[in-house]
Amino acid sequence: MRRIKGLGPLFAAMIILLILFGVMVPNFLTRENLLDLLQQISVNAIIAFGMTLTIMIGGIDLSVGAVLALVGTSTIYVLSFGDAETQSLLHFVLAILTGLGVAGAFGAFNGVCAAKTKMPPFIITLATMMIARGSAYCFNQARPIPIADHQTVFLTIGNGRLFGVIPIPVLIMLVLFAVAGILLHRTRFGQHLYAIGGNREAARFTGIPLARTQIIVYILCAVFTGIAGMINVSQLYSAEPAAGIGFELDAIAAAVVGGTSFTGGIGTMNGTLIGAIIIGILDKGLNQAGVHFSIQDIVKGFVILAAVYMDVRRRK
Amino acid sequence: MIKPTGSHTSLLVLERITKRFGGVTALDNVAFDLRQGEIHALLGENGAGKSTLIKILAGVYTPDAGIIRIDDQIVHIRDVADADRFGIRVIHQELSLAPNLSAAENIYLGREPTRCGWLDRRKMDEDAQILIEQLGMSEIRDVGATVSDLSVAQRQLVEIARALSCQAKILVLDEPTSSLAEAETEALFSTLKRLRSQSVGIIYISHRLEEITRLADRITVLRDGRSMGTQTTAHIHQRELIKWMVGRDIVDHFHRPPHKPGNVALEVNGLVSSKIHDVSFQLHYGEILGLAGLVGSGRSELARAIFGIDPFTAGEIRIDGKPIVLTSPRAALDAGIVLVPEDRRKEGLVMIQSVGFNISLPWTAEWISFCTPNERKRIEIIDHAVNNFEIKLDHINQCIDGLSGGNQQKVLVGRWMEHLPKILILDEPTRGIDVGAREEMFNFISDLVEQGVAILFISSDLAEVINVCHHVALYRDGHILKTVTPDAISLETIMEQLTGARIHETD
Repeated sequence: MRRIKGLGPLFAAMIILLILFGVMVPNFLTRENLLDLLQQISVNAIIAFGMTLTIMIGGIDLSVGAVLALVGTSTIYVLSFGDAETQSLLHFVLAILTGLGVAGAFGAFNGVCAAKTKMPPFIITLATMMIARGSAYCFNQARPIPIADHQTVFLTIGNGRLFGVIPIPVLIMLVLFAVAGILLHRTRFGQHLYAIGGNREAARFTGIPLARTQIIVYILCAVFTGIAGMINVSQLYSAEPAAGIGFELDAIAAAVVGGTSFTGGIGTMNGTLIGAIIIGILDKGLNQAGVHFSIQDIVKGFVILAAVYMDVRRRK
Repeated sequence: MIKPTGSHTSLLVLERITKRFGGVTALDNVAFDLRQGEIHALLGENGAGKSTLIKILAGVYTPDAGIIRIDDQIVHIRDVADADRFGIRVIHQELSLAPNLSAAENIYLGREPTRCGWLDRRKMDEDAQILIEQLGMSEIRDVGATVSDLSVAQRQLVEIARALSCQAKILVLDEPTSSLAEAETEALFSTLKRLRSQSVGIIYISHRLEEITRLADRITVLRDGRSMGTQTTAHIHQRELIKWMVGRDIVDHFHRPPHKPGNVALEVNGLVSSKIHDVSFQLHYGEILGLAGLVGSGRSELARAIFGIDPFTAGEIRIDGKPIVLTSPRAALDAGIVLVPEDRRKEGLVMIQSVGFNISLPWTAEWISFCTPNERKRIEIIDHAVNNFEIKLDHINQCIDGLSGGNQQKVLVGRWMEHLPKILILDEPTRGIDVGAREEMFNFISDLVEQGVAILFISSDLAEVINVCHHVALYRDGHILKTVTPDAISLETIMEQLTGARIHETD
């Protein structure tokens, strides 16, 4: 609804990068390669949608990477109950619900702490990050839990394609993008997020339920992470307790490159999607151009810095 | 007190100062001069160009044309450091102290005394103490006290002390009393008068005309970016001053709407919290009840408790005679209570958002159903407030930070009128807004009362309270001393009641 600044420059940057790598890397701009790009960013983008909501209210969620790992291990743990013959839809549903339930519980805990105590969200989620990571290591003596080959439905989540063309993770990403976008830009809830992030006290005086809104935001962020976690384990064919390290930073980077203000109150879902795509293009493009991975990170660092610098300047 | 009559040396002279922002001429050939040892008031409505002029002196803006002389030398103030070097100190409306540091640390911030490269805390405290004594600021008892523990008035004095700790010749104060209570204002005035006798030139900006006529030696009026001339204060009456300032006659006294009280709208019985001590009162429909109290008397806390923000330990609130439990602002709003908070930037508006966002925010339920915002309904709500309140703006999507203080205040109050509240609590609704906007605010309050709204009017401007309200509750230290009819009591009596013995100390 309210966008104080347009996304023009960001969109232009994305196009320029695409053209740049299109020239540098042969076959970069093929349909297959671009779908592959979207598939690669899907996990990060989905987490970033949730992260955008938390940053929007002036919060942060550092626990997403660890929660992603815990969702993976707990889901696969439940999924692998029983032998191959007794595997059923019930198991599948139960496993998914377990994973999302675990994520939701962590989100609720983060949210209640952030809303009801004076502890800063940075510290709360730093602590729950450690708790989630430790919990992930509790399964299968800290070893990865493989997904059995006959779990075809679950493996489709990360590896299947709709009509043999569109990767399922991309589909999930687009659906969640729509959900998050509608939530932020078309509902009262979204309007309230802008108000809370822009001025918490002013939001209080207009009767916005501060605590409830904050708790819902943290739950949403964690549940989005949970869904990303399902895709992640499915793609890896196993639940790794050490998965997702640094994912919180990638998600923050996508949101921030996409124009989300770190102090809250400013940002859009479109921006975050483009931010995630830009980071994805850099990853894939530099990789395919044969740039050494050490240089890749350096380039990414400078790009993030430049994007945020331009955004800050534009706002003045 | 040494009067500056003998010395006519001009300390600062501004000639033909012009400043444009894009197509807007903020200052147009402005002339101004400041003498040694005088208090020179700069008057004008919001948007008249006062702050632009100050920012030029402070080195924040450079003028497009014109000459600045200090001690007969032509100078160029290119940046804040230049202003510093010329001995110009500006104290802005929003104080710029570090609340976590002590008074002494703040005074010497950036110029901390050192010994062998180490911070010399003892020397800093000693110097600060000496400075405070020289300035006669007995209100600051302990220079080691943390600023967040000081009162607003004491903080203001710390800021002045900081300004004067490095040989200020020219002191500029922008609305220094807007957050001060009467007694604190008196203390500030005696400090300013003392500085005047020490040959400091003081430029004083305020909306409060009573203050200016009492304090200033000369007055310069700005209107629409032009200077309307300078006069000696002794030769001018308040009424003429207003006319001079706004360029038209303004009724200097608000016409209180007729008192036709209806049923009891709000009844508070024995309210107790950590800051409120047994408060009871009744507010009728169609009535304005004033809550007169000094800053820090716990007025805002009472408002917050009624509005469901702060919890209370005992007592009850009744609306329309029925007891009601208000545990959140939402519950209070649903019960028909609206609270317009005191600090519009900190508690009132989302400053990074548009005017339209701020107006439509309380009414999201009206223009968004599930996930389909109704843009037309939204515009309707916004236009309603803008037209009703004559809010001056370029566009509803304009950032609210760009509006003048008076217009921001109109947004803050006007947005609640989409549906009339039963009970309206206004906490300092005229703070920092100009005469014109203030008059509009009073007219608006009058309209509301005639439509039967019950209004609780909180203010530390006692003249205003007496003029506007049907009854005045005198509020001190978290309880109501007594409720009086404004016609039956003088300003001085109220002052004595509210301050207790304090008035004698500062005289």
